[in-house]
Amino acid sequence: MFHWLEQRPFFFAVVLFLTVAFAGFIEAIPDFAKASQPIAGLKPHTVLQLAGRQVYIKDNCLSCHSQLIRPFKSETDRYGMYSLSGEYAYDRPFLWGSKRTGPDLHRVGNYRTTEWHENHMMNPQSVVPGSLMPSYKHQFTNMADLATAYANANTQKQLFHVPYDQKGMPKLGSWKEAEAAAKAEAKLVAADMKNQAVKDAVAKGQVPEIVALIAYLNSLK
Amino acid sequence: MDQETLMTIAGYGKFFIILFIFVLFYSYAYSIYKRDKTGERDFEKYSNLVLDDSLDSAPLEKRETK
Amino acid sequence: MQSNAQIEYDYSVVRLFTFATILFGIIGMSVGVIIALQLAFPELSNLLGEYGTFGRLRPLHTNGVAFGFTVGGIIGTWYYVGQRTLKMSLSESPFLMKVAKWNFWLYFITILLAVVTLGMGYSTSKEYAQLEWPLDVLVVIWWVLWGVAMFGMIGMRRERAIYVSTWYYMSSWLAVAMLYIFNNMEVPTFLFSGDAPSSIMHSVSMYAGTNDALVQWWYGHNAVAFVFTTPIIGMIYYFLPKESGQNVFSYKLSVLAFWGLMFVYLWAGGHHLLYSTVPDWMQTMGSAMSIVLILPSWGSAINMLLTMKGEWQQLQTSPLIKFMILASTFYMLSTIEGPIQAIKSVNAIAHFTDWIPGHVHDGTLGWVGFMIMASLYHMAPRIYKRELYSKSLMDTQFWIQTTGIVLYFTSMWIAGITQGMMWRAYDEYGSLLYSFIDTVEVLHPYYTLRAVGGTFYLIGFLMFAYNMFKTATAGRVLDKEPANASPMAS
Repeated sequence: MFHWLEQRPFFFAVVLFLTVAFAGFIEAIPDFAKASQPIAGLKPHTVLQLAGRQVYIKDNCLSCHSQLIRPFKSETDRYGMYSLSGEYAYDRPFLWGSKRTGPDLHRVGNYRTTEWHENHMMNPQSVVPGSLMPSYKHQFTNMADLATAYANANTQKQLFHVPYDQKGMPKLGSWKEAEAAAKAEAKLVAADMKNQAVKDAVAKGQVPEIVALIAYLNSLK
Repeated sequence: MDQETLMTIAGYGKFFIILFIFVLFYSYAYSIYKRDKTGERDFEKYSNLVLDDSLDSAPLEKRETK
Repeated sequence: MQSNAQIEYDYSVVRLFTFATILFGIIGMSVGVIIALQLAFPELSNLLGEYGTFGRLRPLHTNGVAFGFTVGGIIGTWYYVGQRTLKMSLSESPFLMKVAKWNFWLYFITILLAVVTLGMGYSTSKEYAQLEWPLDVLVVIWWVLWGVAMFGMIGMRRERAIYVSTWYYMSSWLAVAMLYIFNNMEVPTFLFSGDAPSSIMHSVSMYAGTNDALVQWWYGHNAVAFVFTTPIIGMIYYFLPKESGQNVFSYKLSVLAFWGLMFVYLWAGGHHLLYSTVPDWMQTMGSAMSIVLILPSWGSAINMLLTMKGEWQQLQTSPLIKFMILASTFYMLSTIEGPIQAIKSVNAIAHFTDWIPGHVHDGTLGWVGFMIMASLYHMAPRIYKRELYSKSLMDTQFWIQTTGIVLYFTSMWIAGITQGMMWRAYDEYGSLLYSFIDTVEVLHPYYTLRAVGGTFYLIGFLMFAYNMFKTATAGRVLDKEPANASPMAS
């Protein structure tokens, strides 16, 4: 084997590839279809929430916060019900994270309010003394990218058959409709906020990143 | 067949594949040590590939030119 | 043979990669030190507005050291080790030479673009695969170019037998190609934007939720295997015997450890997802295989240590040997630590804590970093045809960096276990004893120590860069290539 293979680098590479690839295919394939089933009642994110999710990715919140509650009493006591596979069925990409420099956020919408997030993102230490988190002031002035969020949702709908526009599910429609809906949703979030600049921007039909992010965080339940 | 039976079959399949590779690997290990011991083939000489690697030194095993 | 007399090995590409490896090493490690300091002193988080936050900088650090520094070192040493063990010169083939040059420049441009785009926040969010799709395309192109050069060189070889180092480089090329492509399957969303003015940089993953996690950690774990492990083993199998003038202790063992590692490594990815929502049997398989993995890993490491049999006095006389022996010792440490963390009950405490970065860093700082630096040191007198500039500087660097690593991993072990235990502590009435912030504040001294350790390592790396620079520009010119031990001025 040794002698034969090493004179034939091509076959050597093929054998090597099979040896290496073997485990991946055996492990991943059988459960792929099963793991992608959504749990009953799961809804995909609205365009505004998706825009917030993009902010979450852009500022890389997941480098310090997980979204995965493990089935231990100490975790369910702290964060709520443990996570189920089907809850992530519309998560592209998944945002489990791998490090908890800060607490888990999978169900943060159950126990934090818009106001809390607003204060916290502006100045984390004012809400949680001793926190290591940086301030995210720029989210109050940067605008969220609704167009890309719409493209994201539409890709999921067209290509992966995520049930937008179906009965009881979030409406997507055309870009014009989606934009108007997202801005209306942003007004609801901004109503609970107190930062005047943000309120003014939303009234003018703009959506600062912080509004989208809070809409997303509130949807995590 | 339901998911459950499929998984069981797949499980046994995997077990035997791993067993097969296990046997293959150890017989290969046995064979190279045996061949080395009986002098059929010297495997240790290949470490000279490093120590004698200048471009004008003669190759350890010259490649047949096609 | 007579025709070879005029040809020489061509190291022009090796020199380019050496430069890039050092440059990206400095950038990546400096960012690492900055983010370590931010965790110890959070006031440092907002010096640069949105561009200076931990979240934005961390991918710069990981991608900078993994793809800039490590991959640069891997490809650079391949063009050196490959030519020499195959007994062919790149100068014999203008085509391969061109491919190798393109390989370098595209790699270099990609890493520079990565620094810019990641800083701006273009990220797919997947760890060690954050680059957005246009950069992924670039990565694939230069990875293929490397493959063309590799197989082209193998095709032109004079030596029939292929040395085990090359096997490791080949495995790295193949496996990373497969892993990278499958994990980065993504759809650019502008294709479906309708009339919305959307960004062309954005993409979504082809997989959702748990499946995405499965693919990501299949990638994440094995990227570690085939970037931080196999090619570095390839390096040590060449550079340690060459520098010490010793034969490999057992070539048979090296071959067996190779196949063992190849087969077992990919099974172990599941251990990143213990207690998550992936199926139980897969988690158990991940744990079990992670433990089996000790065998082939230690096979190589012990083989290296035994190669020094009867020649241990070289450890005293040559700092280069010291670097390599410490590297394989750290390899043994992190390959026993990894399987321990993969045991389910240990993982329950260790996961999500600082023990994990601690584990990664004793492997990367001790094993990968030391091995790459030692390889570049060994190559320097050959590629610049000059004597190494300073032995004493090398010695000092060795001790500073070793101290740094020890500070790093001990502080992270303590931090990780402390925090893991605090998260799960209950009082006598059955309620949680600590709020989350309690478990953060307790870590301050360890974060400070870690930042000090990282700074030591960075200082050592700057000494290395200086030493290499002086070697290339001011070292005594050598009239002939040294056979084994690299010549160094005291």
